[in-house]
Amino acid sequence: MTTPTKTLNVCGKICPYPDMDTMTALKKMQKGEILEVLLDYPLSVERIPRNLKKQGHKLISVEQLDGPNHRMLIEAHGLK
Amino acid sequence: MTPVLYGLLVGILFGFALQRGRFCMNSAIRDTILLKDNTLLKSVGAAILVGMIGFALMTMGGLIKISPTPFFWGANLVGGFIFGIGMVLAGGCASGITYRVGEGMVSALSALIGLSAAATWTAMGFLKPIKDSLQTSTKVMVGEANPTLANIFGLSHTVVALVVAAIILVIWYFVARKNQDDEPKSTDPLVKRIFKNGWGWLAAGIVIGLINMLAFYSSTLAGRSYPLAITSGWLTIVKLGMSVPETKMGWDAWLVIGIIVGALIASLIAGEFKIRWPGWKMIVQTFVGGLLMGFGAVTSAGCNVTHILSGLPQLGLGSLVGAIAIVLGSWLMAWFIFVRPQNA
Repeated sequence: MTTPTKTLNVCGKICPYPDMDTMTALKKMQKGEILEVLLDYPLSVERIPRNLKKQGHKLISVEQLDGPNHRMLIEAHGLK
Repeated sequence: MTPVLYGLLVGILFGFALQRGRFCMNSAIRDTILLKDNTLLKSVGAAILVGMIGFALMTMGGLIKISPTPFFWGANLVGGFIFGIGMVLAGGCASGITYRVGEGMVSALSALIGLSAAATWTAMGFLKPIKDSLQTSTKVMVGEANPTLANIFGLSHTVVALVVAAIILVIWYFVARKNQDDEPKSTDPLVKRIFKNGWGWLAAGIVIGLINMLAFYSSTLAGRSYPLAITSGWLTIVKLGMSVPETKMGWDAWLVIGIIVGALIASLIAGEFKIRWPGWKMIVQTFVGGLLMGFGAVTSAGCNVTHILSGLPQLGLGSLVGAIAIVLGSWLMAWFIFVRPQNA
């Protein structure tokens, strides 16, 4: 089990804050640190994984909790 | 069943497709600069192309009559620009905030109330003089008709629409061949892919284009003669609430009700329904965004759906200018609230 370095809860947030908050948080993290994102917005659940790669971050897992609630684990790429 | 009720049926289909396809034009336009993500934009493009070809063929078959929105460049520009700014604040375009109410997003409901209020003030309240002066001072017509890319040159709509669609398809083909993005192919059974998974961009775009064709035909039967549109429906519902004389539930008012029902059904089946409370700050922001959208849509004679999804396929000049203004307004606001703080 991977232990997250930081947890970000973006449940209830409107488009595109879940994506933007996630990317901003990842930018500030060191290489190899793990970000846990809790989110409930369907579009972002699909869109964040799509856009992580472009920034060099690595998606570790997406897990559906109950209903639209998801838990995402992302490994930060660190500063370029 | 009376023809106006077809609006409800089309709305349910549209709401279902919007929710499954995560089809949001606010995201489509904004994501290109914000996330460098063109997925939803391609979906919108596919829907426009299906509409363009479909409407042209239906016109040829005598099923519908092309009915472009008025061209008043000043009102199209100002209204569209303000609408674009508003939809970024509201977190969704006119169709986006409507279907998300069915997903349980309270922020979308607050944006929708703002939109309906400002649309009413602009159509018949204290903002009406501003709209009227912008519209009448810059209105241009071709004879008795609203100008389109076809009739300004005296050409047949069907021919021009098919040629424009063919040119776009060829360009698209070459651009797509250059930037191939390999989307993973889903191996889930079809039922699961329709009801549980989010739809891919192409499927969503084509389905929404087809629904728009059905919308144009069925609204013609109901005596309305326009494809999908959002703001006018909400305007009718507000007027009914205010007991404005001679207001009736029309095809478009049933449509917006149907969208919420369709999105509710889709999100319940997929297990994505949830009452989402975003906090008071967001409620205020989305409400203000909704107000700007309502003023912009009525001034420009169209929201993103009227102009982009339904107007561009009809080659209307008013919709072309309105659509460009919406895009510019949206980019400006997205830069202002999302890009700029990141670089600060």
